[in-house]
Parts: sequence; C-alpha cells; structure tokens
Amino acid sequence: MVNQKVSNQKGLTVKDLVTTGIFAALIWVTMLIGGLPFAPNPLLTFYMPLGGALLGGPVFLLLVAKVPKRGPISIVGILAGLIFFATGMHWAMDLGYVLGGLLGDLIAGTKKYRSVKLNIVAYICLCLGATGSYIAFFADPTAWSSLMLNGGTAQSYLDAMNGAAQGWMLPVILLGTVVVGAFSGYVGSKLLKKQFEKAGITA
Amino acid sequence: MSGKIKAGLWFDPRTKLLLLLLTALGATMAPSLMYELGLVMLVALMALVCGEWRKSALGLPAYLLFYLLTLAVMQTDGSSLQTTLMAFLGLFHKVYPCGFLAGVMISTTKVSEFLSAMSRIHAPKKLVIPFAVMLRYMPAIREDWHFIKDAMQLRDVSPNLAGLLTHPVRTVECVYVPLMMAASKAADELSIASVTRGIENPRPRTCLVQICFRAADLLAVVCFAAYLAAGLFWKEAFL
Repeated sequence: MVNQKVSNQKGLTVKDLVTTGIFAALIWVTMLIGGLPFAPNPLLTFYMPLGGALLGGPVFLLLVAKVPKRGPISIVGILAGLIFFATGMHWAMDLGYVLGGLLGDLIAGTKKYRSVKLNIVAYICLCLGATGSYIAFFADPTAWSSLMLNGGTAQSYLDAMNGAAQGWMLPVILLGTVVVGAFSGYVGSKLLKKQFEKAGITA
Repeated sequence: MSGKIKAGLWFDPRTKLLLLLLTALGATMAPSLMYELGLVMLVALMALVCGEWRKSALGLPAYLLFYLLTLAVMQTDGSSLQTTLMAFLGLFHKVYPCGFLAGVMISTTKVSEFLSAMSRIHAPKKLVIPFAVMLRYMPAIREDWHFIKDAMQLRDVSPNLAGLLTHPVRTVECVYVPLMMAASKAADELSIASVTRGIENPRPRTCLVQICFRAADLLAVVCFAAYLAAGLFWKEAFL
C-alpha cells in the first residue's frame, strides 16, 4: 500500500507514457476493426458505436492494470479523438472520445483504478464517445446532409430522410453501446484474471 | 545527409498539422460537392509535391469514382436507394479529404522530426510521447497479427468467424493473449530504448534535420487557406 502511494505521487514516468501509447494504438485498432463492418453499410452505419465497443475491453483493462495512475485513460481518449479527427471523422465523435476519456479517468480514479467494476464503467464512458456524431446527427438531420441538399433537393427527399432516421434509434444506440461495452469489459476482466495476473504482466 | 532522401519537397511537421486542420475545417464547411472535389484535388497535388506520387495516383481516381456515384444517386430523386445511401455518402465525403491528407503526412514524417517540431511548439510531453509511440506501433500490430494467425493455424485454431462461433472462448483467448503479451513486452523494450536515447533529457531537443519554415511551407499554407476562404466567402462560385 505504501509502495502504491509512492508510485502514485511520482506521476507518469516515461515507461508509463510509452505503455499508454502502445495500448492506445491497440485500442484504436480494435475500435476500427469493430466499427469497419458497420460504417460502410448504409443500413448498419448507425450501429457503428456498438461494434467499436465490442473488442477493446480486455486491452483497456490491461492498460489500467499496468498503469494504475491518473492520466492514461484521459490520454487514450484524447489520442483517439485526435487520430479520428486527423482521419476526418465528424468533430462531435472526436470531442466525444476526449470527454469520455476524461470522465472515465475521473470515475476509475475514485477507487484508485483498482476496482474492476469502475474500470469497466470507465471503458463504457470511452465507448460512448463514438456516439457523439450520431447525437449530432439526430439533433439536426437536415444539417448533416446539407452538403447534398444544396443542389436543390425536393421535399420528398427530406421526408424520406426523416423517415429513415427514427427517433427510437438514438436510445437504442446509447443503450446498446453500454451493454456491448459492459460485455467486452466483463470478458476482459475474466481474461485478465485467468491469463495475465498469473503471468505477472499486471503491475 | 544520407542518400535515401526521397524525391519531393520537405515540409515542416508543424505546417503539415496546420494543413490538416485547414482541410478538416474545409471539409466540414464545404458549401457543395464541387468544392469537396477541389479540396481532394488540392490534397492530391500536395501528395505529388511531397513525392508520394503513388498515393496521389490512387487517391484521386478513387474519389472521382465516388463523386460520380454520388451524382448518379442524386439523380434518382426520392427513391429508396437515395435515402439508404445518403447518410453513408455524406460521411464518406466529409472523411475522404482529411483521411487522404493524413495518410500522406504520416508516411512522409519521421518520428524524430515530429518530436522535435512538437517540442518547439511546447506541446505537453505527456501527450506527445504516447502519440509518437502510437504512430510507430500501429504497423507493428499488423505484423504481430500475421504471426499470431500463423501460430493459430499451426495449432488447429481457425482465426476466422467460423472458429469464433464454434469455439468462442478458445479463439478469443488465442487472439488476445499473444497480442497483449506482445504489446506489453514491446512497451518495456521501447521504454528502455527511449530512455537510453535520452527522452527524459530536460534540455531542449535537437535534431539532425533542421526544423524551420521555408518558402514551400508558406506557399502550401497560403494555398489551403485561400481555398478555405474561397469556400467561406464566395459560396456561389462552387454551386
């Protein structure tokens, strides 16, 4: 316990930063692989945050177990937001990841990053960041497609668009992301207990 | 310096970041599809100037294909095809210019140049180091994945969807455990290597390549900024 306090006071070392970077890369790739089957399909594109949340849980929990300090979760959120911004994703999604990371860091920090349950909640916060662009979409569907509408599109199109994006979809996306993220975190905690704690990989 | 320098102009990493920001703004506020096409052309020109002629030759025709597809879909007014494709195409057109430019930039910037430029603008080290490591590690994940797949096949575990459905627990373990073990080992090695090379040195960082703004940087920024301003103030020209 005393030892733990010392390492907490020291702040982030270079080793912690490098570990965070490597795991941030892995988490980002899991988001991409999970989200890719959904994004190009026009009917499934709305369920992209669910896919993105599916794979990252074990990686995220191992990162928190390796670096149980204030910072890594926020850094993962900020980096994911930056990279998604650099690849041109919608700004609301990038902002969502940054905010989700900061919030997750605060939540997991209340138990000094040692509580598995709160770490899973932190992961869910991060995953909810992906829903940012969909919240923006449902807030104003016409602005989203305004790029296409400038050519003077008929009213019939506007009606069809509003019909396609139904109101119940947003709660489904949000709830679904929470459920999928919790499942991924649960699998991750089992995996961590079975494999990584025995091998002494967790700090 | 070494003889491996690629043909093409060298740009300051800070310029590249600025261009990325301008492109992202341009893509977000684009008044029309025509404007978007112009932006992609500008990025393709930039790729050509950087010496990435292959990316330029692939990226522009790919976009043209989608541009024509979008125009064709727009023609079918109010059909169900249009509604289903519209959300996806809207996303695609917003993402493409930035993704294109980011790809060109990552492949033309060395990690050491990037770190020096970031320390020049006093970016916090807590963000810059993980960011540089992240960019460096991403190609390695792909490499690791191929090794893991080979090893799985050797032990009769199929690393595909069928394997995942028939033996979910075993397949998940066989993918995650080696991937995460490799990652934590790489983290240890990389941090030892970077400490040895003096990443903790509190003095200002030096770099063999001189990081400074040149005429080419100024020209590129002026071009992109002018295009952004044109999109903002002369919207009629692009309709």
